[in-house]
Amino acid sequence: MWNGIKSLITGGRSSREVAKGRLHLVLAHDRSGLEGGKLQEMRQEIAAVIARYVDIDANAVEISIESHSRETQLMVSSPLPARHA
Amino acid sequence: MGRAIVITSGKGGVGKTTTAANIGSALAQLGKSVVVVDADIGLRNLDVVMGLENRIVYHLVDVVRGKCTVAKALIKDRRLENLWLLPASQTDDKDSVTPDDMKKLVCELRATHDFVVIDCPAGIEQGFKNAIAGADEAIVVATPEVSSIRDADRVIGLLAAAGIPARLIVNRISPHLVKRGDMLSQADVIEILALELLGTIPLDEHIVATTNKGIPAVLENKSIAAKEFTRVARSLAGLDAGAPVAAPGFFSRLGRALGLSPAPTA
Repeated sequence: MWNGIKSLITGGRSSREVAKGRLHLVLAHDRSGLEGGKLQEMRQEIAAVIARYVDIDANAVEISIESHSRETQLMVSSPLPARHA
Repeated sequence: MGRAIVITSGKGGVGKTTTAANIGSALAQLGKSVVVVDADIGLRNLDVVMGLENRIVYHLVDVVRGKCTVAKALIKDRRLENLWLLPASQTDDKDSVTPDDMKKLVCELRATHDFVVIDCPAGIEQGFKNAIAGADEAIVVATPEVSSIRDADRVIGLLAAAGIPARLIVNRISPHLVKRGDMLSQADVIEILALELLGTIPLDEHIVATTNKGIPAVLENKSIAAKEFTRVARSLAGLDAGAPVAAPGFFSRLGRALGLSPAPTA
């Protein structure tokens, strides 16, 4: 109950949850050996490649690294525009 | 042929040496013949934690250089029948020993003892490579903090690359802080590191006091941390040990019994 009240007061997650979230992110990057800056460079290049094939907003392409049970995955997501035939 | 277990963590100050001293002593209490090896060349500490600092004549580097036999460098603990310490050198540096030297040394110790417990230095450079060279298995010590877990993760990767199976000890966990939402729980640490749990050592003032005195806590066996170290040693020795669980406090147990608070997620 106290935790509930506290999260209402502090308006968010406990420091334990914050630590966990930060660790998931940091370890995903550590395990892949990819620095955050390099990842953004890669995002831009991938977005440029996608843009050669479909008409997309290059800024809407998202990239992230996720790691679960020591398996690390690179996730790229890009919205595709609806085709008006 | 005995087993060589390296105690490692990446980050310094998380309790490697205390863990090595206590697990080594607890295994000896169980009747096993044990050598604890201080592989932290240049920054030795296992001797003071075990209270054997006044009896050092020869050390690990002397053995490697052929200045004396292994048997001559081993310091016998007077409190326990089956416990020996091989101290590190305080004046040499980590480069005075190679992984091959350590392999040979550990192999020799394994031939005459049930367990060789190697206290690894902090870091992942030469000292780490030396310390893991002769090990059959590893215990990774991590405290429930972001920096410690990050370094542990790096070490786990390096151990996996070296083909050394590893298990986890979560050290200095405070059930009170976990409950308040201000500390990662053992379940969080296991989930993040994806490693088998060997034990959870609660944050315990007795450890500070016994370390001040140079007595491994398991010898006094008064504290919950000491009991957990003994449980870990039983598990390593293949004896019935029970599950590794941080003991919940009296009120949380009472609360749960009365259905007032949910069971811990740990």
